[in-house]
Amino acid sequence: MADRRFLTKLLEALSQDGGKVASLPTIKMASCEKRRSAPAPATGSGLVEPVRAGAGAREPESEAEFLLQSGVTSMVREALLKVLEARPEEPVSFLASYFEKLVLSGPQGGAAGDRHGQQQRLVRALWYVRLAHHSHRTAFNNNVSMAYECLSARGRRKKPGVNGRIYSELLKKICQDGEAPEEVVSFLLRKIQCRDHEAVPFDVFRYGVLSCFVLLEFVAKADTLYNVLDDGSGVADKRVCQAVLDTLEDALGASDFSVPIHYLEAGSKLGPDYLALAMDKALLERKICFSMNREEFLKKATALFIAKVKPID
Amino acid sequence: MLSPERLSLPGPEYLAQRHVLTYMEDAVSQLLENREDISQYGIARFFTEYFNSVRQGTHILFREFSFIQATPHNRASFLRTFWRCFRAVGKNGDLLTAKEYHCLLQLLCPDFPMELTQKAARIVLMDDAMDCLMSFSDFLFAFQIQFYYSEFLDSVAAIYQDLLTGKNPNTVIVPTSSSGQHRSRLAPSECSPLDGVEASLFYHCLESLCDRSKYSCPPSALVKEVLSSVQRLTFYGFLMALAKHHGINRALGALPDKGDLLLDPPMDQELEKLLSQVSGLSISTPAGSSGDIANLPTRRSPWKPLHHCQKVNIESDGSTDETESSEN
Repeated sequence: MADRRFLTKLLEALSQDGGKVASLPTIKMASCEKRRSAPAPATGSGLVEPVRAGAGAREPESEAEFLLQSGVTSMVREALLKVLEARPEEPVSFLASYFEKLVLSGPQGGAAGDRHGQQQRLVRALWYVRLAHHSHRTAFNNNVSMAYECLSARGRRKKPGVNGRIYSELLKKICQDGEAPEEVVSFLLRKIQCRDHEAVPFDVFRYGVLSCFVLLEFVAKADTLYNVLDDGSGVADKRVCQAVLDTLEDALGASDFSVPIHYLEAGSKLGPDYLALAMDKALLERKICFSMNREEFLKKATALFIAKVKPID
Repeated sequence: MLSPERLSLPGPEYLAQRHVLTYMEDAVSQLLENREDISQYGIARFFTEYFNSVRQGTHILFREFSFIQATPHNRASFLRTFWRCFRAVGKNGDLLTAKEYHCLLQLLCPDFPMELTQKAARIVLMDDAMDCLMSFSDFLFAFQIQFYYSEFLDSVAAIYQDLLTGKNPNTVIVPTSSSGQHRSRLAPSECSPLDGVEASLFYHCLESLCDRSKYSCPPSALVKEVLSSVQRLTFYGFLMALAKHHGINRALGALPDKGDLLLDPPMDQELEKLLSQVSGLSISTPAGSSGDIANLPTRRSPWKPLHHCQKVNIESDGSTDETESSEN
């Protein structure tokens, strides 16, 4: 909540700034943002306010008033806040899908049937958790808690909380869109899944979601690593692959990551010189040349990662 | 994919760098212009469509020049639209003058300044004979450089002039300036036997220009490539080389390679479909170049003047019968 207020302030400063260079309507917008010094952070479905001041307005209202009354101001503010939180690479696409979501979630809200509604909530939760990259931790945490809230609201029956089934479903959906091989995903899921009827506390929820995203990124990284190793030929030398994997294992291995210095140790073990040495040594070994294909490499690399994921109990 | 520095930028800077506010402001002022329609239509839906059209690059159609050149994305979208709309001109092998190309540009952007068109034509024609005819692709690639890198080229022109008159370009640190100065002083005017400026010196100046500039510049590695192949070069020689460079075209990303400029099978198919529909309905609209235009999603009224302004001076180099038949 604290950083939300901070962002709001930031935005206020920003819209005043923008007003100087911008066209007339923006100045007006900026001024009406100023007037609204204590904005109530409208969340979720309340965003799409029906426009009452429509065709039959009594007198021509000023532009600023129109923007305020029709909810444009708050909608724009919310959208910009989301952009600032997530810092997407392509803000225009981000905004397009953000507003699209608003249109979809707006009018029919939670009116849909239970089964159907659950599917919708899942889609919505998925959208939330993808809004910001997980390295952007506050934004990511914010979005995960939005997703959690979204999943725990269960229609009319008031039984708040997320159960294991929908949690697993969400994790599966997250993983489906990455390029991670199915086998790898199921290994991970086995470690972090809950039982269908179990209630999933937020900590576990967040941990599971985060693990999935990190796994996806790890797989993508391992994939590019393989691209380097095979040099575009499609097959990489087995000795070199194994050397790289061993180095990786060594770096991840024994160390206990609750102690900060171990991060530095791991980093130095994966430094270019250390790695080059290992690869060089591997190439010098006189063995018959085998190759390792991409699947095998990815499987071995991710196994190292998954071994490090703490299971939920 | 991830460029991490964007995560550490202060908020306003991030928004400015990605031109988020430019679009948000434009969206709101568009909304205000059509507020009656939009309040019935739904505001979120309006924003969705606005940002979708920005993403697809159709947002610049018939907009004012100041908006079209406001962001690199807008410029690239305009170039792509221009190419897609008037591809047929190139396909028919028509050669047009700068004025006629300007007419075409104004169909998409009514207040498009003549000055830019002229500058682009100067690149093709190497600064002389301004009423000459140009092929579509020559003009398009020259126009692309001129339009997209407009501010960059202005600075380049200033630097070039400085070098030519033997002045050390101010605000630029040039390690080899003494020798460069000396030599360019020997060649004070453009008609001297040693035409232009020394390429390596020129590159040094441009490199530091690219470092400083807040506007888009061509990738400096490619500029280096262009400049390293020659000893000396003139301003227009340089611009011409930029315009013809495949790498720069690719880096800019608005247009396909020159070879593929006139190829677009899906569009051709659609065109044929449309043409057959039109002839089936036996409406006597001018076919040919207008068919392409009919593909555009929006208002079609501004297209009419094209055919008049175009036909006055068409120099068909006899390449196609299509042009002939479409005239009748």
